[in-house]
Amino acid sequence: MDYNFQYGVVWDNFGALMEGAWLTFQLGVFAFAGGVLIGLLGASIKTYGPWPLRFLVDCYVVFITNTPALIQIYFLYFGLPELGVRWSNETCVLIGLVLNAGAYLTMILRAGFLSVRKTELEAGQTLGFSLVQQIRYIVVPHIAKTVYPALANFFIVVLVMGTSIGALIGVDDLTGQAINLSSINYRWLEYFSVVAVIYVVLTFVASIGLALLGRWAFRVRARIF
Amino acid sequence: MPHLAVNDLRAKYGALEVLKGVSFSMEKGQVVALVGPSGSGKSTVLRTLVGLTPVSGGSVTIHGDEIRYSNAASVRRARDQMAIVFQQYNLFQNMRIIDNVTVAPTKIKKRPKAEARADAERLLAMVGLADKLNAFPDQLSGGQQQRVAIARALALHPEILLLDEVTSALDPELVNEVLDTIRRLATEGMTMILVSHEMAFVREVADKVIFMDSGAVVEEGLPEQLFDAPKTDRAREFFGKILRH
Ligand SMILES: Nc1ncnc2c1ncn2[C@@H]1O[C@H](COP(=O)(O)OP(=O)(O)OP(=O)(O)O)[C@@H](O)[C@H]1O
Ligand SMILES: [Mg+2]
Repeated sequence: MDYNFQYGVVWDNFGALMEGAWLTFQLGVFAFAGGVLIGLLGASIKTYGPWPLRFLVDCYVVFITNTPALIQIYFLYFGLPELGVRWSNETCVLIGLVLNAGAYLTMILRAGFLSVRKTELEAGQTLGFSLVQQIRYIVVPHIAKTVYPALANFFIVVLVMGTSIGALIGVDDLTGQAINLSSINYRWLEYFSVVAVIYVVLTFVASIGLALLGRWAFRVRARIF
Repeated sequence: MPHLAVNDLRAKYGALEVLKGVSFSMEKGQVVALVGPSGSGKSTVLRTLVGLTPVSGGSVTIHGDEIRYSNAASVRRARDQMAIVFQQYNLFQNMRIIDNVTVAPTKIKKRPKAEARADAERLLAMVGLADKLNAFPDQLSGGQQQRVAIARALALHPEILLLDEVTSALDPELVNEVLDTIRRLATEGMTMILVSHEMAFVREVADKVIFMDSGAVVEEGLPEQLFDAPKTDRAREFFGKILRH
């Protein structure tokens, strides 16, 4: 056990790691945002839609949640070109993560839709709210408050676990940069310990931001740790 | 011309006819009490009036204008004129008390914020909740929430207030604070239809009592008439049972 830690080389390339972290953050945010849109659509269909559409949503959710995200992304990156569809690795990761998150978020948001009390909607109706106003002032705040903690947790999952899959198809996110750099000079321990700390800081900052946002916007007491 | 006239009102839930031709009328400033056994259709009458339960026949007129429940604009006008308060109060859980009261005036009636707020503060003070403006509904007792619901309904300045068993979900010691609020509205000349099982209170505030059974009006009259000398057997049986204890 006389490994000689040399962090100097890591600091020399710290800028590249930060670029990777920035890409990770962007991928996480966009994948999550796209997933929320799909999730809202899926959950609305599950709650209010006709059965053929509900069935389609069920198939989508079952299919996606029961296969590894890695396989889904490999399918897009290695499978689709066989069919003549060729996307860049970053596009494949993003689309894969959006589709993946969309399925999980359909389930999470569905719970929120179910929590809206019909009686509150009736009160709104008799006060003169239109359907859009009911959704805006009653349904959405309810959903937001009910599922906010689950959403915040899921964002962290996408940010850390989801995005790092990209490294396996050559995306230069934080994990990808660490693999690239450490394979140049074999300082695996140094690079990956620093990268671990960057991930922790990233999720820590995101968690605090989300907790504050939730407390301010939805009166949610989300746990930070 | 009566303020509100209900004529042969009918409503169904699926195949079940719940209102089988209900008729009554009331003048401005009157308090009318709807009483009757559970399931007789009292709530349904109030719900059809504000367009929550579809009408399958008959007519409702306010100042002689018929409400057409198949027409969105007409229903909107009806909801301007009548406000309903439910047994379970149904406050917006995600909004502060003050916002519960101001949301409809500002967002739907587009009244200026400051004006709506001043109005809401006055109403909340009237129901004794001036100190709860910034609380959330789940921080209030049932009686307090019910009084907020009344203030919220009044904030749109309805001509007729519909109250559906507003005290029956409350603990006994909270009932009086809500009844006091209704009593006060009655003395101020508010037109109200009140569904209630509090017969002593009905006798005190109601100008007219309507006794319903199985989706129809069986008998109506002054409280003393109905309570002390009902004409129909069905009313005698009902009031005999509930007034004895
Ligand atoms: N949503 C519904 N679907 C089907 N039937 C209903 C529904 N709501 C009420 N009913 C039925 O309509 C009838 C009248 O109900 P309503 O609630 O108007 O009675 P009520 O006089 O208000 O009774 P209570 O004193 O118990 O509140 C009852 O037979 C009831 O079972
Ligand atoms: Mg009822």
